[in-house]
Amino acid sequence: MEQNVSQIYTSLGRLTLNSPVTIASGTFALENLDFMAQDYLGAYVCKTITRYPKKGNPPPRLFETEAGLLNSIGLQNPGLDKFINDDLPILRETLTTPLIVSFSGSSLNEFKLMLESLEQNEGIDGYELNVSCPNVENEGIAFGVDPEIVYKLCALLAPLTNRELIIKLSPNVTDIAVIAKAAEDGGATSISLINTIWGMAIDIQSGKSMLKKGIGGYSGIGIKPLALALTYRAAKAVDIPIIAMGGIYSWQDALEFFWAGASAVALGTANFIDPLAVPKVYEGIDNFLRERNCTLNEIIGKCEV
Amino acid sequence: MDKLKPQFLERAIYSREELCGDYFILWIWDEELGKKCQPGQFFEIRAHYSIENAEETRSLPKLFKPISIYDNAEGRIGFFIKKVGYGTNALSKLKAGDLLELIGPLGNGFPIVSGKKILLVSGGIGYPPLWYLQKRLIKHNLIYWVHGGSNQCDVFPCDEVWTEDGSLGKMGMVTEGVRSLIMEKKINLIYSCGPIPMLKECARIALELEIEHYCSLEAYMACGIGVCYGCAVPIGNTEDWNYLRVCKEGPVFNAKEVLWNRM
Repeated sequence: MEQNVSQIYTSLGRLTLNSPVTIASGTFALENLDFMAQDYLGAYVCKTITRYPKKGNPPPRLFETEAGLLNSIGLQNPGLDKFINDDLPILRETLTTPLIVSFSGSSLNEFKLMLESLEQNEGIDGYELNVSCPNVENEGIAFGVDPEIVYKLCALLAPLTNRELIIKLSPNVTDIAVIAKAAEDGGATSISLINTIWGMAIDIQSGKSMLKKGIGGYSGIGIKPLALALTYRAAKAVDIPIIAMGGIYSWQDALEFFWAGASAVALGTANFIDPLAVPKVYEGIDNFLRERNCTLNEIIGKCEV
Repeated sequence: MDKLKPQFLERAIYSREELCGDYFILWIWDEELGKKCQPGQFFEIRAHYSIENAEETRSLPKLFKPISIYDNAEGRIGFFIKKVGYGTNALSKLKAGDLLELIGPLGNGFPIVSGKKILLVSGGIGYPPLWYLQKRLIKHNLIYWVHGGSNQCDVFPCDEVWTEDGSLGKMGMVTEGVRSLIMEKKINLIYSCGPIPMLKECARIALELEIEHYCSLEAYMACGIGVCYGCAVPIGNTEDWNYLRVCKEGPVFNAKEVLWNRM
């Protein structure tokens, strides 16, 4: 009997991933590996680090809507030094899959300083520049919506590293294609999208917002069509690989994103819904490709309209 | 002892108990799991369904709900639940034989002591974790348990009952009697679980009388395992504090370390 061997590895700009399934920053940590083998993960993306420790936003920080999740965590993290000294050695020790460090700066120079510090450490395979967190005022998002700043940021950082340089884009923009192109022109080696969408929920009895901050980031199943459309548009605009995310829960969801032009997908909210979401999505893609006797590359970006 | 890792399990519901109002209890039976549980710990639980079948069942995938352990008699584990939203509503429809998805046990339990005069203070759905706790404490401590609710459907077996509408027991807020009980019963340790204003008032009294006080906090959670930081609460002192996770560093905290004014 002929055995079909699916080719489920995928390529980013500089990294080859053994699985096209990764995770969205802040939704997956080493604790998740109590439930699943890391072999299913193409890469491990850590929670976003900032230069100095960040307490995060006041609670309540979460609210589950009819279709997806609102959050306003506010990039709570221990800061760059503590990450490098305490967290990085543990990650290096534990991970066999590539490590992508997600980080965010409040200025071009701070991004540069952070990258220079991280460059001095072994065991990091790539970076994800978070310029799109909707929960941090005057940081992040201001960067992500301006193509000129996105270009400058990528152009500033690209010459400083030989590692994968991913920039994570915001959906809260007028034209994702322009921003994606600016990232590519600046020297990003791949693009991840989308970060969360602005969202809100209000208690009808009291009139109080469900999140302490009022507006938060909306993720999960409800944002999938939007994420898919932006993936499609961005993929048409650039040649660099795209890591797509936004409401992907199942392998069927993931396949839509590959057809739309994603080279890899990331699960976010799905990790909270099902601790086995990553292996299930991986297995589903693998089975699909085996049954059709084709490779992932034969699907990526081949959506017909 | 190393902290035991939580497990992701599916277990059939062994039996179900109806209580007054919106309250009900789901029981599962797993002896091995029972050995890992401590009073104050919780599970993330959910009515079984699968993402793959979401299309067929027309049901959108939803988060697990954090539910504390109500009872654990050699693996006969009870979840005492109040119907409040989508998740608990789905749980309320389950019957014996239906599958429950569980992640746990999670979080840190209450400190277990001996030779103390203990006051338990609970409000509404804060009752269940203290039931499991008192079972563990009762042989080696003197315990007095006071519980309050808005009406007679919100009260459960204990030593002293308060209702806001006066429909059962004393009328008023449960915290009204706490100060005199501490004096009268020479209380030297308090455990509490319930709504934030109740915990805050208990904490104020305990601090003033210099009584040790542990409270179990409730928070909205996405993951329950320490990943998302959605359930964070302010812990420390006014000069030096941080948001700690109810699911990982909690749900039990020393009440004097909780920054109640920031809650």
